[in-house]
Amino acid sequence: MSHANVSIATPQPVGVMESSPFSIPSKKLVMWLFIVSDAVTFTAVLFAYGYLRNATPNWPHPFRFSPSIINVMVMTFILVTSSFTMLLGVRAAKEGNKSKAILWTFVTVAAGLVFALLHIREWMGLIGEGVRLFQNPWGSGLFGASFFSVTGLHLLHVIGGVAVLTVVALGYKRGRYNSDDLEIWGLYWHFVDLVWMFVVPFVYLLNITRAS
Amino acid sequence: MKTAEEHKTGGITKYFVVYLAILVIAGLQIVIAYQNIDPSQMIFRMFALAAIQAGLAIMFFMHLWTEKRVLMLTLAFATIFVITTMNMIWTDSFRLLGGVPFAKYQ
Amino acid sequence: MHDMSHATEHHAHTPPQGFIRNYVFSLDHKVIGKQYYGLGLVAVITGMVLSWIMRIHLVWPNFAIPGLGLLSKAGAPGGIVTPEYYLQLMTMHGTLMVFFVLTNVPFAGFGNYFLPIQIGAEDMAFPRFNMMSFWTTFVAFLVLIAAFFVGDGPPLAGWTSYAPLSAVGGAAGPGEATGQTLWAISIAIFCIGQLLGSLNFISTTLDLRTKGMTLWRMPLSTWSWFITSCIGLTAFAVLLPACILLILDRTAGTSFFIPSGLVINDKLQPHSGGSTLLWQHLFWFFGHPEVYIAIVPAMGIVSHILINSMRRPMLSHRVIIYSLLAIGFLSYMVYGHHMFVSGMNPFSSLAFSFPTLLITIPSTVLVLIWIGSLYGSKLRITTASLFALGFISMFVSGGVSGFFLAQPSLDIYLHATYFVVGHFHMVMGVAAIFGMFAGTYFWFPKMFGRMMNETLGRVHFWLTFVGTYCIFMPFHYLGLAANVRRYSAFVDDYLQPLLGVHKFITIAALFTGAVQLIFLYNLIHSRFRGALAPANPWEATSLEWTMPSPPPFDNFGGRHPVVYHDPYQYGIEGATNDYVMQDSPEEIKSVRDER
Repeated sequence: MSHANVSIATPQPVGVMESSPFSIPSKKLVMWLFIVSDAVTFTAVLFAYGYLRNATPNWPHPFRFSPSIINVMVMTFILVTSSFTMLLGVRAAKEGNKSKAILWTFVTVAAGLVFALLHIREWMGLIGEGVRLFQNPWGSGLFGASFFSVTGLHLLHVIGGVAVLTVVALGYKRGRYNSDDLEIWGLYWHFVDLVWMFVVPFVYLLNITRAS
Repeated sequence: MKTAEEHKTGGITKYFVVYLAILVIAGLQIVIAYQNIDPSQMIFRMFALAAIQAGLAIMFFMHLWTEKRVLMLTLAFATIFVITTMNMIWTDSFRLLGGVPFAKYQ
Repeated sequence: MHDMSHATEHHAHTPPQGFIRNYVFSLDHKVIGKQYYGLGLVAVITGMVLSWIMRIHLVWPNFAIPGLGLLSKAGAPGGIVTPEYYLQLMTMHGTLMVFFVLTNVPFAGFGNYFLPIQIGAEDMAFPRFNMMSFWTTFVAFLVLIAAFFVGDGPPLAGWTSYAPLSAVGGAAGPGEATGQTLWAISIAIFCIGQLLGSLNFISTTLDLRTKGMTLWRMPLSTWSWFITSCIGLTAFAVLLPACILLILDRTAGTSFFIPSGLVINDKLQPHSGGSTLLWQHLFWFFGHPEVYIAIVPAMGIVSHILINSMRRPMLSHRVIIYSLLAIGFLSYMVYGHHMFVSGMNPFSSLAFSFPTLLITIPSTVLVLIWIGSLYGSKLRITTASLFALGFISMFVSGGVSGFFLAQPSLDIYLHATYFVVGHFHMVMGVAAIFGMFAGTYFWFPKMFGRMMNETLGRVHFWLTFVGTYCIFMPFHYLGLAANVRRYSAFVDDYLQPLLGVHKFITIAALFTGAVQLIFLYNLIHSRFRGALAPANPWEATSLEWTMPSPPPFDNFGGRHPVVYHDPYQYGIEGATNDYVMQDSPEEIKSVRDER
């Protein structure tokens, strides 16, 4: 892979192809397009949640500052930080510093794993309190359905990202993948982080328990 | 592409500032969440802050700012256009409480 | 990841060895295109047979259809269709036709085969993605067909699967248990296949154009596939989560789409709080762009073929492209016109009505350009061009009724009648099918290296053309006479005078369906016995005609064509022929296109 940016393998003589209007490798373009598509998918799920929440008068507000919001703060910190370490990894790869790039990528993977574990722990806690996909102790059963769907879809993306980044980092170490591949999957990881930025305010912060 | 490479190998400070800014905004959202304001105001502020966070992440972490401007415009236009048109669903959300029209909801 | 990284390996100049790698799990875009076409053929035959059964049942309710009793003992005891089974057949007919025919053939089938060739590429940008997208679609097809053979048969909620009927499970009727779940799973898988395909089409079009093939020099067919893939990228991205939420409602007990207090068969459903309209919003947000996913490729193919037959470019190449783009954008803003009678906010009906009427402007511009370009041209009549003309005819006839349906006040009366059935079958169904026929007759020599029989082709065209008008025109009159759709029997008094019309339609449908055997015979016979096709039988200009028929494994034989001209240099004075091919370095004295 290291020998070509475009996806046709044989090195092309200069000027046999029209240049891409965006001047980025095909794989990167595909990742951007996937991100657009996936953003629309997440929007649809978040809109469905917002639509139902808006139309449901007895919507529960179960998130207390401790432990829920503190947990979310920690998770946000971890995910944003993992985005930053991903950036460091890609930078190192672009500079040709292979070992540093792999180190930072694995830091990212580890952070993603911690995020996933914290998330699952939070889920278990809620399930322990009686939240199900169709009911909960506080109000409309749609809360559990929306909460688990939105965060579940995001969690799937996190777990998928952890798996892919592991494979790419190992492949990069063996020379199977190059810094471009790392950068492209870095884009994906940033996108997962970006989705979380919308999940936190809309799914958690709008449903906090208030004193009144 | 050249400028992109330069930026990537350039100072890390800028990215650290972006990183901190995203965290600060995340903290700000929590402060706002505990204010006593109208829900519509709350949603608007939350969305505005999340959009700024996302914009920072897209432009700097994902380097869209230093790609060709046409890529940024194309992606932004496509995504924003589709998401904007999807907003037509809200009209029914406001008139159907619990899935039934206002008048019949008990 | 694995697949992307291996995008580079396809570029062997010799074809892979072995049947499996060559014809089954082939990475070659040409084989994949034919696979899509073959899958579409199977689906269209199945779907047509289902429509026959429905039509027969409507007018001869006591006629026992041989063998149907074996397929479903409960649904068709002794070969007589029950009212529920009628709806189940209708659901499968719609789903097969919309997803596996209208989306698969003109877009994925022809697009896969000819998009890379028309831009001078050796293959798609990501051949492995391409293979995956076909086999994903194939799995979706199998899952859908499996619904015939499980429990009490396929679902009965229609191809739109409106909630709560589709969401509450077995209580809602036969097929609503396992069948509906299979439907939702199948469509979710289908979405993934189409998303992969769209990613591939867009990146191929943008990145693999050969030297000189600027965006404006791409043929109109390529443009239409490109625009369609852009629509597909975001439209299927909404249907996918909608299907997942539907599956959750059906299997995990959530109530996204099921309202409170729903009573079915005197039993209160254990769901609460959901919104049936939410499903419709999500579904139609995909569903309307889907209509254009079906029709836009046909528009491009038809333009491509007509120009070749007229021997001169369209009045304006660019305005056609702008119109296609405008249709693509507007398709996202009009989806609510499917929901005028479903209890949607009446004020949004107005907001959806306006862009719906607006979308007639680019459509009309297209039709006017086609007709204006045809005016005074010395048309070479071939089967392909006849079907292209037939497409325009169908598109106009079906489109005109769109003006009525776009207005909520009229739509409220017409929506649940056969008027709508007539409208969408003509403007989307038959028109797109005519586009496929045109494409088949036009490109068959290139795809298989043999000519199709022109005489049989013309017979096929005229009988099909007359036949489809006989089927679908009367639907409009039935609708105006308030003949409700989705009924499996017409027992009301006011419908009795209309039964004669229904008989006429059924006979026309059986006849037109039988006529397609001519096409099938022509297809199979020509594949093996047809006259050998020269490289450029239609004296066409675009790149697919610069290579032998059928094209070699790597399309251009390792050479990179260089493009010097706009795609449609026909009627050139002083040229050796009356046309100049895109890759010919010949100087052109009179450039006919506007640039």
